[in-house]
Amino acid sequence: MSEFRAGGTDLSERRRSGISRGPVRDVGARPELRRITATADGGWEIGAATPMAVLAADEAIRSGYPGLALSAGALATPQIRRIGTIGGNLLQHNRCWYYRNPHTPCLKSGGDTCPARAGNHRFHVAFDLGPCVAPHPSTLGAALLAYAAEVVTDRRVLPVAEVFGDGSDGSRDHRLADGELLTAVRLPPAVAGERAAYHRAISRTYAEWPLVEAVARLVVLDGTVAAAGVAVGGVAPIPLRLPAVEAALLGNPPTGALFEAAARRAADGARPLPMTGYKVPLLVGTVLEVLERAGRA
Amino acid sequence: MVKVEINGTQHALPGPLPDTSVDTLRERLGLTGTKLVCGAGVCGACTVLLDGQPVVSCLLPTDALDGHTVTTVEGIDPEHPVARAFVAHGALQCGFCTPGFVVEAAAFHDDWRARHGTARPEREEIAAALAGHLCRCGAYVEIFDAVAAACAGEHDNAHAAAPPRVEAAEKVTGRARYTLDVRLPGQLEGVVLRSAHAHARVGDIDTAAAERTPGVRAVVRLLDARDPEVRYVGEPLVAIAAVDRHAAEAGAAAVVVRYEPLPASVSASAALRPDPAPVYTGKRRTPNAAEGVLVPTPWKAPNLRGPVGQFSESAKTARRLLAAAREAGDPLLVEGTFHTAAQVHTAFEPHVAVADWTADGLTVHASTQAVAHVAHELARRYRLRPEAVRVLAEHVGGGFGAKLALSHEIVAAVELSRAAGAPVRVALDRLEELSVAGHRPAAELTVGLLAAADGSLAALSMTAVADSGVAVGSTVASLARLIYPAPAKDLADYDVVTNTPPGTPFRGPGGPLTCFALEQAVDEAALRLDTDPIALRRRWDPDPLRQRLYTWAAELPAWRERGAHTRTGRYRRGVGVAAANWFYWHQTDCEVELAVLPGGRLRVASAVQDMGTGSRTVLARTVAGAFDVPPDAVEVRIGDSALPRGPISGGSRTTATLVPATLRAARRLKAAIAEATRLPGARPDDAGVRHAGGVLAWPDALRAAQETTVTARRPDDDAALGRSARRPFDGAGALGAGMSVFLRATSRLRTGRGYTGSVYLAEVEVDTRLGHVRVPAMYCGIAVGRLAAPELAAAQAHGAVIQGIGYALYEQRELDPHTGRVLTAGLEDYRIPGIADTPRITLHFDEDGFEHVPGGGVGLGEIATMPVAAAIANAVHHATGQRPYRLPIRPDAIVEAVARGDIR
Repeated sequence: MSEFRAGGTDLSERRRSGISRGPVRDVGARPELRRITATADGGWEIGAATPMAVLAADEAIRSGYPGLALSAGALATPQIRRIGTIGGNLLQHNRCWYYRNPHTPCLKSGGDTCPARAGNHRFHVAFDLGPCVAPHPSTLGAALLAYAAEVVTDRRVLPVAEVFGDGSDGSRDHRLADGELLTAVRLPPAVAGERAAYHRAISRTYAEWPLVEAVARLVVLDGTVAAAGVAVGGVAPIPLRLPAVEAALLGNPPTGALFEAAARRAADGARPLPMTGYKVPLLVGTVLEVLERAGRA
Repeated sequence: MVKVEINGTQHALPGPLPDTSVDTLRERLGLTGTKLVCGAGVCGACTVLLDGQPVVSCLLPTDALDGHTVTTVEGIDPEHPVARAFVAHGALQCGFCTPGFVVEAAAFHDDWRARHGTARPEREEIAAALAGHLCRCGAYVEIFDAVAAACAGEHDNAHAAAPPRVEAAEKVTGRARYTLDVRLPGQLEGVVLRSAHAHARVGDIDTAAAERTPGVRAVVRLLDARDPEVRYVGEPLVAIAAVDRHAAEAGAAAVVVRYEPLPASVSASAALRPDPAPVYTGKRRTPNAAEGVLVPTPWKAPNLRGPVGQFSESAKTARRLLAAAREAGDPLLVEGTFHTAAQVHTAFEPHVAVADWTADGLTVHASTQAVAHVAHELARRYRLRPEAVRVLAEHVGGGFGAKLALSHEIVAAVELSRAAGAPVRVALDRLEELSVAGHRPAAELTVGLLAAADGSLAALSMTAVADSGVAVGSTVASLARLIYPAPAKDLADYDVVTNTPPGTPFRGPGGPLTCFALEQAVDEAALRLDTDPIALRRRWDPDPLRQRLYTWAAELPAWRERGAHTRTGRYRRGVGVAAANWFYWHQTDCEVELAVLPGGRLRVASAVQDMGTGSRTVLARTVAGAFDVPPDAVEVRIGDSALPRGPISGGSRTTATLVPATLRAARRLKAAIAEATRLPGARPDDAGVRHAGGVLAWPDALRAAQETTVTARRPDDDAALGRSARRPFDGAGALGAGMSVFLRATSRLRTGRGYTGSVYLAEVEVDTRLGHVRVPAMYCGIAVGRLAAPELAAAQAHGAVIQGIGYALYEQRELDPHTGRVLTAGLEDYRIPGIADTPRITLHFDEDGFEHVPGGGVGLGEIATMPVAAAIANAVHHATGQRPYRLPIRPDAIVEAVARGDIR
C-alpha cells in the first residue's frame, strides 16, 4: 500500500531513517486540497494540503478560530510551517524515540511490545490510555478538538475525535483506513467574541516537541463563560479534549479563582507513568496559563 | 523527470533521484553549500528558498521541486546586505550551519526592509524568524548583530575594513569545502555495521552475502580480532563500501554476525551492584576518555577504577574534620551529592573521512582537530613512511574535543579504500554522531566542605564517580585541589565502566563538573557564614588574576542590586556567581613556516586546523600585525599534515602555541629581509628596516624583498617575566611539580606558568508555574592575557557561554535502561540551545598576567565554558531557595520541586 504525501515533512524523515519504506503518492500539489472556503452553514472548510503557515496567517481563521490560528503559528519551526500541511499534522506519526529509531521496533513498527513503557519514557504520556505510551504529536488535533471540527475524507465525514479514537489501539497513530485520503477539515460557524490562547510548555524558547501543550477558547457573555473549548497535547496517545475543565468554566464569571479551579480538573483521569509524574502539575499549569491568557485576550 | 529552476538555471533532472531535495542538491548537482546535519528539520542547516520562501531541504521531497524555483546559498548574492553583515560581524564559527542561517536571514531581511524600511528589528523578532536554526558553536550573539545591522541598512554598501574572521566570506557563500563535501573521482560510500548488543562475544562474521550485494566493492572487519567482544550497542563491527549509500546499507544488512550475548551493565548503578556483570573480563583494554596519558590505576571493583587520589592533601585529617563536624551537627558543614548528565558534542559536521589509498601513498580528508597527529598515527598503524601519509582538513565543522583521535570512521575509510582500490567516504549520520561519537561523562559528585568559624576553609572532600561508558580517565575531583587551598583535602576520582559508548574529551574535560558541585558548595558556605559569595571567594582563592575579576564582578550593578529581585510569586529572579580555574598549556614540537613571496605577499603555514575557533585568523592577524600589513595580505596555509607540524586543537593550546612561534618566525624573516637589503647598517625594528639613510617601512620592505622562507619553533616563555606568575600546578604541592614533569615526559604538552581564570555572574528567571528557566543576562570575567584576535575571542566566549547554558538547562543524553542504546539520537531529542535562548552577554577580559608568554596571551576555549552551569545553578538557588543538585535544570525538575513543596 502506498503512503500519501503532502508536505512530506514527517514522511521524509521516516524514509531517511528507514522506518518507512515503499511507494508514495503525492497529493500536496492538488489545488482542490489547498483551498480555504466558506461553507453553506457559515463555517469554513480547509483543504487538507493547506500549509500551516497559510492557515496561521489566514484572516478568516485568525478572526473566527483564533485558537487554531495560534496553534498553527506556534508549532514546529517557520520552515516546517511553510511546507507542512494541516492534514499531515493530523495524520503524522508519533515522535517516540523508540519508534523513530530504526533499531528499536515497537507496537507501531512491527514489534509486539512498547519498549518505552518498560524503558525510558521521560517525555511520554501522563494519561495511560493504551498499550503505546507515546504522546500524540498533533498540535492541530488538539485545536480542532477544541473547535469540535469534522474531518472530510474521500469516503466519509467524521468528527475529528474519531480520527484519533480513544488511544486503545497501540498499533497506529490515527484510525483512517489504508488508502483513505483526508481531503479537508470542516469548522462549524465561528462564535462572535471568542477569545483564545495556545501555549506549549518546553525547556527552550522555541522549536521543541511539547512536554505539555494546551489550547483554550472562551466566549464570555454578560459576565459569565458562555462557551469553552479546552484541549491538550503531549500527555496522552491522542489529543485530549478536557470536558471537565470546560464544564467547570461554563456559567461562571471568568475570575482567576475560577480558572485555577477549572485548571485543576485537567488532572482528572491522569495516570502518569513512573517517569512522567511531572506532567500532571505541568498540565494543570499549562491549562491555567491558556485560560488566563484567553480570559485576558 | 523533475524540472526545476535552481539559482537561475533551468534543470531537467532525469530519475531516479534521491528522495529529498538536500541529497539531490548536494549529491546530484554538487551544490554542497547546502549542508545536511540533522536530517529531521530541526537545525535548518539545509535551508533553501522554494519560490522565495525558506524551507528545510532535508524534509522537502525532490518531487516537490517540479515546476518551482530554488535558491541555495550559492544563489544568494555575496554582496547581499546579509551576506556582507555575516562577514563583517563574524557571525559564524565553524561555518557549517552558516549557509542555512544566511538563506533564512536574507529572506527575513528582504521582507523586513519591504515592510519596515531601515528600522532595526528587536532581538525577539530576529529570534522568532530564525527559530528553525541551530548553531552548535553558539554564534548567536554575532548573528543577532549581523541581521539587525543588515536590516537597519548598515551593510547596503560594502565595507573596506578587514573582517574579524579571514575565511568568513568562503563560509557565508557556501564555497568553503568541508570533508563532508569532498567528492573524488570514483569515490565510494562506506557505512559501518554496528553491534546490536550491549555485551556479547562475537563469533563468526559472515560477509559473503554482503560482498555479493550489487554495488558493494569492499567489506572490512573493524572489530579487533584479538578482543572479539563488543561492549556497547553501536560498537563498530564491519565496514562496507559501495557505489552509493543505499547499496552499502544493503550490504550491511546482508552481513550475518553470530553473537553470544553476555550479561551487561548498562548503567552506573548496575555496574556498581555487588557481583555485577563485568564490562571487561580478563585484561581491560579501556579506551581513554582523557586528553592525556592514563596513569596506571588499580580497580577497586570489577567495574570501578580508582581511586585516583593523589591530589589529596592530609586526606585523613579532612575525613576526620568532616566526620566530627557531621557528628556535631556543625552548621558550617556543607554536604551534597550532585549529578551531571552526559553531554554530547554533536559538532554539525559529523565525524567523516574520505580516504584514498594508492600506490603512491595514503591521502585522507578528515574532519579532525589533529591533522598532524592523525597522519602520524596512520603512518604508525599501517607502517607507512611518514611522507607517504597526508591528512587534509581545509575546513572543519566543529569538534569540541570529539575529533582529537584516529577514530573509527577514519580507520574504516582507509581500510575500505585499500580493499576497494578507490577513494571511500565514511560519514557518520546524526544518529551515529549522537550515539557513539563521544560525550562528556555523566557523574555523581559527593562534596563535603567545612568552613571554620573564622570564615576560613578548613576541609574539603570530593568524590567523583564518572561514567564514560567503556572508557576511563576522567579527572573531576582532582581539579578541586587547585582553586581553593584548604589545609585538608580528600579528593578521589573514580571511573565506573558501563556497557555504553565511550566518552571523549569535551571542552575543559572535568572542569564544568567540578565547578557545578564545588561552586554550589562554596555558595552554600557563604550563605551559612552570612557572607557575600564573591567576598568569600576572594578570601579563599589566592589567584591574583581571579582576584581582579572578583573586584570587577562585585562592582557590577547586577550583583550589587541582587537583593532587589522578587523571590516570591510566579516568576522568581536571582543572580549567582561561580569561578573556574584552568591551565595554560602549549605544545612543544610545533613549527610555523613564514615566507615572503614575490610582490611582497606573506604566507604563513603550519599543520594546524581551524574547527571554527579561529586558528587561521590568529595566524593571519599575528603575521599582519608584525609587518603592519592588512590581514588579507597574508596567505594562510593550514589543514594539511604535509606542512610543518602544528598543534592539535585541544586543551586550549592552539593560540598559546602558534602565536609565540609565529612571532619568532616573523623576527627571523625580518632579520633575513633586513640583511638582504644590503643597506648600510640595516637592522630590523618594529617600524621596518632601519638603515643609515632612514627607515624602510615593512610594507615597502616586503615589496622589495626576494622570496624568502623561514621556520620557527615555539620559543620558551620569558623566565624573568614569568617569575611573578603562578607555577604550573601551583597549589598542588610536590605532586604538582610531578604532574608537570609527567605531562612533559608522556606528551608534547607543556604546562606553563599562570592559571587562566573566569568569574561569571548569571541572572535567571524561574517560572514556577511552567518550570521554565530563562537566563536573561550573563556577565563573564575572563583572564587569559592579551587577546590575539579580540573579536574572535569574544565569539569563542559567547559560544562557550551558550554551550554552557545547554549543559545547564537542556542537554542530556538519554539511554534505554535495558540495552544502553542511546535514545537521544536526533537533534529533536538531544536539545541544544537555540538563538532565542541566548542571554545578553557582557564580556570582561582582563588582559594582564601572561606577559611571560610571547604575545602576552593564552587560550580561552575551555575556561570560558566551565563556570556557566554552576553560576546558573547558584542563581536558581538565589531565585527559588532550592538548590539544583541535578543537571540539566529542566522544567520537569522545577515543577516537581514546586509540587513537592520544596519551592514555595
